[in-house]
Amino acid sequence: MKAYLSAFRMRWKMEVQYRGAVVGGVACQVLFGLILVALYRALYRGRPQSMPLSAITTYVWLQQAFFRMLLSSDPELMDKIRTGGIAYDLCRPLQLYGYYYVRIMAQKMVGSLLRAIPMLAFAALLPEGWGISLPASWPALAVSVCGVALGLLCVSALENISMGFTMRTLDFRGVMALMNLVMTTLSGNILPLTLFPDAWQKVITLLPYAQLLDTPIRLYTGEYALARAPGALAVQAAWTVLLILMGMLLWQRNQRRLIVQGG
Amino acid sequence: MDTVKLYLRSMKMQLKCQMQYPASFFLQTLAQFVMEAGELLAVILIVDRFESLNQWGAGDLYFFFGLMSVTFYLTECFGRGVTGAFPSMVRSGQVDTLLLRPRGVLTQVMCWAMDPRRFACIAVGTAALILGSRMAAVRWTVLKALALAEAIVLGGVMILGLFLIEGIFVIHSVKSVELVNGLTYGGRSACEYPIDVYPRPLRVLFTVAAPFALVLQVPAAYILGKPLYGWPGWTAFVCPLAGLVSFGTFYALFQRAMRFYRSTGS
Repeated sequence: MKAYLSAFRMRWKMEVQYRGAVVGGVACQVLFGLILVALYRALYRGRPQSMPLSAITTYVWLQQAFFRMLLSSDPELMDKIRTGGIAYDLCRPLQLYGYYYVRIMAQKMVGSLLRAIPMLAFAALLPEGWGISLPASWPALAVSVCGVALGLLCVSALENISMGFTMRTLDFRGVMALMNLVMTTLSGNILPLTLFPDAWQKVITLLPYAQLLDTPIRLYTGEYALARAPGALAVQAAWTVLLILMGMLLWQRNQRRLIVQGG
Repeated sequence: MDTVKLYLRSMKMQLKCQMQYPASFFLQTLAQFVMEAGELLAVILIVDRFESLNQWGAGDLYFFFGLMSVTFYLTECFGRGVTGAFPSMVRSGQVDTLLLRPRGVLTQVMCWAMDPRRFACIAVGTAALILGSRMAAVRWTVLKALALAEAIVLGGVMILGLFLIEGIFVIHSVKSVELVNGLTYGGRSACEYPIDVYPRPLRVLFTVAAPFALVLQVPAAYILGKPLYGWPGWTAFVCPLAGLVSFGTFYALFQRAMRFYRSTGS
């Protein structure tokens, strides 16, 4: 356990080094957020929906703030697989899956926290109807923080599965891109899941992609009432456990038939 | 003419290279298709829920989306050297080799890479264009077809110019800056929808700094028969020239930056 913790800590320290890149990234993400909010405002002017506009703008800002959690791959591992450097990792007295799981998690956590804090501060300064509104209640904030934590565990497990497939095909771009793209659509990054047709809601909110950010955001805005919170968190936890088990199985089978590339 | 021949020849070679790994090529093309289909799905779902956006109906929205997507991905397909490869060429010092050859740097960069996977995106965009023009009951005339062609060609030129900004920054600072692409990708996302729905600062940004609105949307609105801001018909043919101006500006800056180019690597 201690070994995994220190792997996490090392990755964390490395990620914190790239603070310069964060500034540009945040500015970019803010521009995207403003464009999306302006678009939804125009749409709402024509045809107001049952859900208040402020819930949509809050949704947009939270998605943009934690964008980094969804999309980031560990290019180092990809290179290791292609060049054969993975052999060194196999020599470590650790379970490979766990080692990469904590690395990915640290990367996503630092990447999104460094961006989320300035972005949410900016969004909070915007006037009502443009920016992010306060959580539905204090307990709602607390459960949504739990939701984000579970979402992080879940997305790391998902990414580890796509890495597992990479080990098989050597070319990560196809599979990775497919996984990433399904992710941006079904996690609500392109269009808030709350704006998907009402008839689809039952299905899409149960898919693993909705567990990443959609569930925590709905807990935050109060779309999921507090009484529903334990159920929502349970679905998140169930997917996380399932995805981790699937990933471990995949990695174990890969390890048995792994061919080390290069020479 | 010689340059054009050279370019076409390298495109042919690039295509051949890409086809050497058919399985990987197929998977990546499929991924591109899913990506663009996902974007289109967002427009479809918005139309499903909101039905219209100010005076723009469903067909209009598909048309705007399709025009942006066709233009943007044609540029990314045939200008991959500028839109993707150049920053890493500067960082690795490969630009040195380009300086030794008896052709312009930009020509060689254009010949450097091609991205045929983008045809999947272009196909989705074309489908949206056709669907949009059907739903909006556009009556096509020779003039309208010309306006569409002009918008796509000059739009491509403008987008190439915008991607040069990253090249300029990279020459000066070696490290690629995410922010400079914000204008390009932000413009793409924003101008998938008609510009007049946005508040003034965003409208100015995408009319003056990155003139997506002038190059793509004025002609599109003309074709749809709902002129943007009520401007007369001839503007649909004049406004896209802003794309040339924009490209010219960034090209001049790029040439200036190249004088400061210092090699990296060994």
